Amino acid sequence: MSFQSALFLGVFLPAVLALYWLGPRRAGWQNGTLLVASWAFVWTWGPRLFPFLLLATLVNYGAGLALGALRTEDGPEGAKPNGGGSRWLLAAAVAYDLGQLALFKYLGFFASTVSTVGGVLALPLSIAAPSWALPLGISFWTLQQVGYLLDVHHGRVPACRSLLSFATFSSFFPQMQAGPVARTDLIPQFVEARRPSLDDLRTGAFRFFRGYVGRFLIAAVLGEKLVDPVFSRAGELSATAHWLAVLGYAGQVFCDFAGYTEMAIGVALLFGIRLHENFEYPFLAGNLMEFWKRWHMTLTNWLFDYIYSPLMTGSSWLRGRLDLGLFITFLASGLWHGAAWTFVLWGGLQGAGLVVQRHFDEAYRGLCRKDRTWVARRKTRGYQIAAWAVTQAFFVVSLVPFRAASFREAAAFTSGLLGRGAVAMPRMGNTDLLNLLFCVSLLAGYYALRGRRLAVPAVARGVIYGLLVVYMAIFMPLAKGTFIYAQF
Amino acid sequence: MDDRGTLRKLIVDWLDDRYLFGDAAILIKSEDMSFLENGILDSLGFVQLVLMLEDRYRIKIDRKHLTRANFDSMNKIISYVAARAVFPS
Repeated sequence: MSFQSALFLGVFLPAVLALYWLGPRRAGWQNGTLLVASWAFVWTWGPRLFPFLLLATLVNYGAGLALGALRTEDGPEGAKPNGGGSRWLLAAAVAYDLGQLALFKYLGFFASTVSTVGGVLALPLSIAAPSWALPLGISFWTLQQVGYLLDVHHGRVPACRSLLSFATFSSFFPQMQAGPVARTDLIPQFVEARRPSLDDLRTGAFRFFRGYVGRFLIAAVLGEKLVDPVFSRAGELSATAHWLAVLGYAGQVFCDFAGYTEMAIGVALLFGIRLHENFEYPFLAGNLMEFWKRWHMTLTNWLFDYIYSPLMTGSSWLRGRLDLGLFITFLASGLWHGAAWTFVLWGGLQGAGLVVQRHFDEAYRGLCRKDRTWVARRKTRGYQIAAWAVTQAFFVVSLVPFRAASFREAAAFTSGLLGRGAVAMPRMGNTDLLNLLFCVSLLAGYYALRGRRLAVPAVARGVIYGLLVVYMAIFMPLAKGTFIYAQF
Repeated sequence: MDDRGTLRKLIVDWLDDRYLFGDAAILIKSEDMSFLENGILDSLGFVQLVLMLEDRYRIKIDRKHLTRANFDSMNKIISYVAARAVFPS
């Protein structure tokens, strides 16, 4: 079951909402309803994987309680982790979570890499790659659980004492599939009883609809009509086709993931739960760091809070080695996105881009210290447009290995960007072309009207939404396609 | 200038030099203004600020407090450091 399925929209969501809000207004009832619903939701992805979720929830709940209990009495800096015992327990619990992720997601990648290396070096290193199904959302779930364990260990939050609240927080179905990455500051929302709010219901429904349009109209059309046909013939078509395709892919990934996020936030709001925002107009960013502050914000924050900051400020030899820290953090991001070397390359590119930007800023600051006119130049429209163009071009081109199935395809596509192919564009019907123009206009309108409240009468708004629904019903059949980020 | 005043000047000078290109006095409109929400400091800057404070005031910022929220405004930074640093008399 997924957000777009008729079963979810027609039966599951209305039934769970009715039980949730019409039953006793107590946290126990609400969490119980959500937990059973979430487990049912996960069950539809594959019953074989369900025991892993149950066991891991119990392990992390127990580990959290033990880590909380192992903290010593308050001192001048508050309670401290109780030395070795607490660290060993933390290491064991985190290893359990990461081990589960490694088993499902990275074992096949490791086996195929070893076999490839063995082939190249003519060594008998062949390992049979297991073909287990990757549980949906396991990458997001693992980040959530590891973050919880670290926060409890360091005393940033108390351990969650209620198993029901913890299990509901851990399995909350709107964000199980592809985030936003849940942080421990959400737990209090699962401890208190929630009250229905008309504003939440209205906003939740609207955000779900907006996300639905993003994913199942714009992303679907861009993917099917522009991106997939060019990537499937990488290197054969003209440079224009390749540039349009990679630009289209940037739009597709954004609409797919931001669309999913909007739907998740919207569904959560229907239950009175506020998830973290995940996107803030990333295509307006004027430098790469700003881009990562605006794109998949919950992942970026997680990486900086749990990998970059501890590595850079600890007492190890890595302390203060900012470039290396950035590179490691974004390599981890690439590997988190997918168990393939193309994702590692993509992560490495982001890390390298941030290192280059950091050194450029250092050099520019040097100029400013000598001559203040460089400060004024930085504020000119020309500088800002150039900075924006370089940032966005870098991100768009870096998506080539992210989208390509292999290095070979990435290389072929890159050569296509440089204009090696002969055929102008893939064949496209008038309807497809109109659909594409319509979708690009919607995306451009979304950016152009950001943050503005338009005084559109309710009737006119209803007509516009109705027409969009009719359009989607005709062109976008239900249950078509999967979310890109759900595969991670 | 008292210790808090000295600390404030140090942070403003550091922000000016590292991030704000001399506009710190204009951009930091109040002592409680969020640095992260208002683009004064990003995650990279947060780490560099922590390193600078640890080195300059010879304090060790505990893992428990190593969150961006704890260093998100002038008041928060000054209060945190002032409670732990030994200022030269």
